[in-house]
Amino acid sequence: MFPERAEAMHRICFDMEPSESDLGLLGSRDRWLVYRDLVRSRLTHIVAAALPRTKNAIGEHAFGRAVDEWLSTGGPKTRYLRHVPAELATFAIPVWRGTEAPWVADLASYELAAWNVRHAPRDPSSVAEFAFDRKPVITTAIEVLRLTHPVHDAPTPALGYERGPVWLCVYRDATHQPITTKLNAIAADLLDAWQRADRTVAQSVEQVAAAHETGIGPAFVEKLATLIADFIDRRIILGGQSPPRDPGQNA
Amino acid sequence: MSREINGIGLGLRYDLATELLERRPASVSWVEIHPENYVDRGGRYREMLELARRDWPVVTHGLSSCLGDPAPFDAGYLSDLRTFLSDLEVPWHSEHLCLGAVDGRFFHDLLPLPFTDEAVRTASQRLSEMRDAIGVPLAFENVSYYATQEPNGLAEADFVVEVLERADAKLLLDVNNIYVNAENFGFDPKAYVDRIPAERVVQIHVAGHLLRDDGLRIDTHGEPVPEDVYDLLDYALRRIGPVPVLLERDNNVPPLDVLLREMERLRAIYHTAMEAGIVP
Repeated sequence: MFPERAEAMHRICFDMEPSESDLGLLGSRDRWLVYRDLVRSRLTHIVAAALPRTKNAIGEHAFGRAVDEWLSTGGPKTRYLRHVPAELATFAIPVWRGTEAPWVADLASYELAAWNVRHAPRDPSSVAEFAFDRKPVITTAIEVLRLTHPVHDAPTPALGYERGPVWLCVYRDATHQPITTKLNAIAADLLDAWQRADRTVAQSVEQVAAAHETGIGPAFVEKLATLIADFIDRRIILGGQSPPRDPGQNA
Repeated sequence: MSREINGIGLGLRYDLATELLERRPASVSWVEIHPENYVDRGGRYREMLELARRDWPVVTHGLSSCLGDPAPFDAGYLSDLRTFLSDLEVPWHSEHLCLGAVDGRFFHDLLPLPFTDEAVRTASQRLSEMRDAIGVPLAFENVSYYATQEPNGLAEADFVVEVLERADAKLLLDVNNIYVNAENFGFDPKAYVDRIPAERVVQIHVAGHLLRDDGLRIDTHGEPVPEDVYDLLDYALRRIGPVPVLLERDNNVPPLDVLLREMERLRAIYHTAMEAGIVP
């Protein structure tokens, strides 16, 4: 009996419209509608807090409809309230690509990235020194975005954004705030490779340069050194992974 | 080794943390946190917790492992929680006697269980499972509810006592929830407190609630503590004895001084009740 009641509570809270049969099963119709309002308003509040510019851009009605449609797929799968906006965005961004101005999906992706890095896990506590022959260690609170509109330029222009490729790095600074810095295509690919950390810094530089058909000459090296110094300064690059132990060394 | 939890505590919440951690008022004896806000998270929340731990012992109060959920626990989360609680050296952890998720979908709110023997079995079994998994004493909190229960079920206090006895559990007694339920459903809140085995209570929650125009009271944690809830706290402390009391304020958070005045009131009630001795 109880599982059936629990299923009915679930449908009342998350279905697009609560059914009279579920409300009848549980009884106390008006009070279950209170629960529906409480559940939905908390979730709507948290996604609106994460995506305020997106909500403003598309309007409360369209934003609310997206939340309603997402909730009707069953409600949040996460126990962490801070991860709820990502679940909504995963559902809504593809929808908004078809229904809203072309830059709205980029704006939502950008706002979600800022929200995610703000709430990302801690950085590793133990990191070795950065070196070209080591795999790098990058902060956990970072996202690299490849967008087609400069939506990081706020406030949102009245006529929206012009189309044009943008590479962004959004990371958490020492005061725990999300900071956005603009990249070029090579820097974005390098940062992606360093996040994957499946190769040494030198190997990933060679791979990315080759993919961009760019020679590693003095100018490239100078720009790379500046980029790495900047990333270390911003604590985007934390250091390097410890080299594997020499099996010949005594334990 | 865990530090002792005594006197009046305050919920460590983002909206008041900056002022609280700067001023570190001596009238706050301990703090309570929701682990879901800290597990696998860095940034400001982690910093808040580390700063709070310098001065105050910490108790944890979960939001998402509700004891009435029909699905099995998430073993991965319980493992993470065990590690988190061990690192914090908490003396106990608490969850809610309610429904929080169905089929892996979370309400992010606390829905009521039916006060039936079936729900008692589910909750007591889950409580034992979770207690084993997290490795610290586990208490549960009585929740507020707004929907009328079926007439052939147990009274709420009897339901709570059944779970306590069957699971040999501890109780986080929320006097605001008792008051809200008593007003919404017309029972005597003091009679409810009388039913609770005093030796099982490890902590008390106090909060304010919203009184809607239609007369329904909603447990918002967003209003000042009303006089009737202070009175019920006084009654409960005289019955139960010196258990730590937490002021919960999660929404509509006022300046810290306003909360500190409420805490002073709680402290006065606490000391007066203790001086009067326990009324059996």
